[in-house]
Amino acid sequence: MDLPLLSASFLAFTLTLYVILDGFDLGVGILLLFQPAKPARDHMVDSITPTWDGNETWIIMAGVTLLAAFPIAYSILLPAFYLPVIVMLLALGFRGVSFEFRVQSKQHRRAWDVAFGVGSLVAALMQGLVVGGLMQGVTVQNRYFAGSVLDIFRPLPIISGITLLFGYAVLGGGWLKLKSNVSLQHFASRSLRICAPAFAIFFAIACIYAVRIQPGIRSQWASHGIALACLVGLFALAAGMLTALSGKSRPALPFLLGLLLFDVGITGMAFIVFPKIVPFSVSLWDAASSSTSQRLVMIGAACVTPVVLAYSAFAYWIFRGKTPEDGWKT
Amino acid sequence: MTLDPSVLARIQFAFTVSFHIIFPTMSIGLASFLAVIEALWLKTKNPTYLQIYRFWLNIFAMGFGIGVVTGIVLSFEFGLGFARFAQTAGPAIGPLIGLEVLTAFFLEAGFLGIMLFGFNRVGPKLHFVATCMVAVGTLLSASWILSANSWMQTPAGVAIHDGQLTVVNWRHVLMNPSWPYRLPHMLTAAYLTASFMVAGVGAWYLLRGKHQEFARRTVALGTAFATVLIAGQVFIGDIVYGTMLKYQPSKMQAAEGFWEKQSQSPAPYYWFIVPDQKDQRNRFALATPYLGSIWLTHSLKGRVEGLKNTPRELQPRMVLVFYAFRIMYCLAMLMFAMGVASLWLRFRGALFNSRWFLWMLVFMSPSGIIATLAGWYVAETGRQPWVIFGILKTVDAVSPVPSQALLSTLIAFVCVLCHLHNCLRDLYIPDYSPRACGSSCLRRSVWFYKERIPALRARQSETIGG
Repeated sequence: MDLPLLSASFLAFTLTLYVILDGFDLGVGILLLFQPAKPARDHMVDSITPTWDGNETWIIMAGVTLLAAFPIAYSILLPAFYLPVIVMLLALGFRGVSFEFRVQSKQHRRAWDVAFGVGSLVAALMQGLVVGGLMQGVTVQNRYFAGSVLDIFRPLPIISGITLLFGYAVLGGGWLKLKSNVSLQHFASRSLRICAPAFAIFFAIACIYAVRIQPGIRSQWASHGIALACLVGLFALAAGMLTALSGKSRPALPFLLGLLLFDVGITGMAFIVFPKIVPFSVSLWDAASSSTSQRLVMIGAACVTPVVLAYSAFAYWIFRGKTPEDGWKT
Repeated sequence: MTLDPSVLARIQFAFTVSFHIIFPTMSIGLASFLAVIEALWLKTKNPTYLQIYRFWLNIFAMGFGIGVVTGIVLSFEFGLGFARFAQTAGPAIGPLIGLEVLTAFFLEAGFLGIMLFGFNRVGPKLHFVATCMVAVGTLLSASWILSANSWMQTPAGVAIHDGQLTVVNWRHVLMNPSWPYRLPHMLTAAYLTASFMVAGVGAWYLLRGKHQEFARRTVALGTAFATVLIAGQVFIGDIVYGTMLKYQPSKMQAAEGFWEKQSQSPAPYYWFIVPDQKDQRNRFALATPYLGSIWLTHSLKGRVEGLKNTPRELQPRMVLVFYAFRIMYCLAMLMFAMGVASLWLRFRGALFNSRWFLWMLVFMSPSGIIATLAGWYVAETGRQPWVIFGILKTVDAVSPVPSQALLSTLIAFVCVLCHLHNCLRDLYIPDYSPRACGSSCLRRSVWFYKERIPALRARQSETIGG
């Protein structure tokens, strides 16, 4: 069995789950900055409070899978994205502690709401920078990163940072539409109406720019032309539907369309990167650890992941339906 | 001035991991404590237990949250600061941490929401199951991470072919020689930390005359757990000491403050030294004669081996290891004394109204955290200059990241974590000010020497006179 391919699939699975699940958490956090009313802010945070921790755990899973299965890729990519990753970690830290602080600290609640929003925004921006950094390619020499830590602050990563910001806001708006009560429906629709087209436009700019600067992407486009064109069409269709329907659709539809947008985007990226794992230089077989390590991770993942998914789903089911007006009682 | 990236990377890792470990230590202990309290509540239906549960649940939630967000930093820091370590050790410790995430982190995170917000959504039995799952998650997590760290202390089960490490036996990696002893050592430390925190808060309320029923229960439970645990910890600690002496003699040589290959007989026990690593000697030492032989060799005249047995370039820094070990050891002795005192007071029925004991409990409430940190410093500084003992040196493990980048992120970490610490302090100790705290301590001691001691003397002379 091709163990590195299996590990890479598991890695893609964990990353996708992280982007989707923490994506709407971060999106709600970003939208929090634009909500002036305090009760509405409480309601927004309440909609994600019981399950955010499990959502965030998927990024640890992704990072550690990379370490265990592809230690060479891990030790190239993290120094390459040193600055955005550290800023992202600090921002996620602010976001994470704000959940507790904004409830327990009576005097500084407003300040913690700002910390929550800015933390979410900066984390999203930094994740976008990393995506852009991957797409512009990583300089590798002799199995170590050989570029500069400042390579990341170029136009493509910055454009993709803004793209992801709007993308997460779309997911957050969809989530609020699904979970919030009447008072927030209007806010959710309005944020979808603004963010969905912005996401699509910035995504298009990022794609066009990436194709222009990176020959690796051009060659992938040449070999998977039809598949990638279908994905682009699907993305445009979903974005158009989302913009048109954001006002009057059924509550679950915008969220599902947001998920579709992200799935299409991630699949497109997978087409472009595969079979490399460090874009355009190291393939996933060259970066893989020995088969004994791969096997242990894969056996563990095969046995435990279904259980994890089952009780995570159970937790979501317990907190199903609209978020209560006066929050969760501890 | 040139800054060494390896030093900066180490400072950054040491700072972030030190801040992090405080919170899991508390959560491991508190999660099990909460499970016990909820079980007691389900059994007795005494509302005081529910009150205790809710009080500590809030603190647990905060500590757990901070533990999670500072822990995420660590899972990336292996690569951010120590890329060469990640590349070498990834095949061995990567899967261990991967299984930790799968079996422990998800379990904790999945059931934490139900534990915190599910009171009205699920029945009491299911809620208790959620609490137990979170507690089991913390234990599993400790078990995996101690396995990974112990493997770095006493590596086993791997083969190295031209710089590439491959695992030949997972059972040997997982159950490496020091893991079976270091795991219970850490878990007991976590339980002790929680016990002293709980007892300290209860004692504070008793002294203030507030929430008496709540305070009595927590003081009784906290001191009872602490007494049993410290007795066990002294025993476990002794086994850990013996194991490390066998596998990493340099660590224990540095921890005891001896330089000469064989100490004089009988060996003294050092309390305070000024070690000089360059000249390989102590410039100044304060010691109790005979005690070293008795404690360390269990004989009256035994000799103790010193740091010169280890080649100079493979020696850890004695000053760090020695003082970290002394802090842990002295705090353990103090905890033991508190345990004995609590038994005596319990026997006399004076546990809740001996003010001196309650004040001691208040001061001892952070002792578990300090002792745990000190213990980790012994483990980690004593392993130097190795990062994986005998396999990879720390200086060879760092990332190709320029020192300017490392320095700026180190400053960012220090600022953010200090800010977080201040926020926590403002939340839980609202009327805190260093000057007021210091002056009240000073006033108490002045009062003690000026009035209390003469009063006691007067009473003593009266009894003798009468």
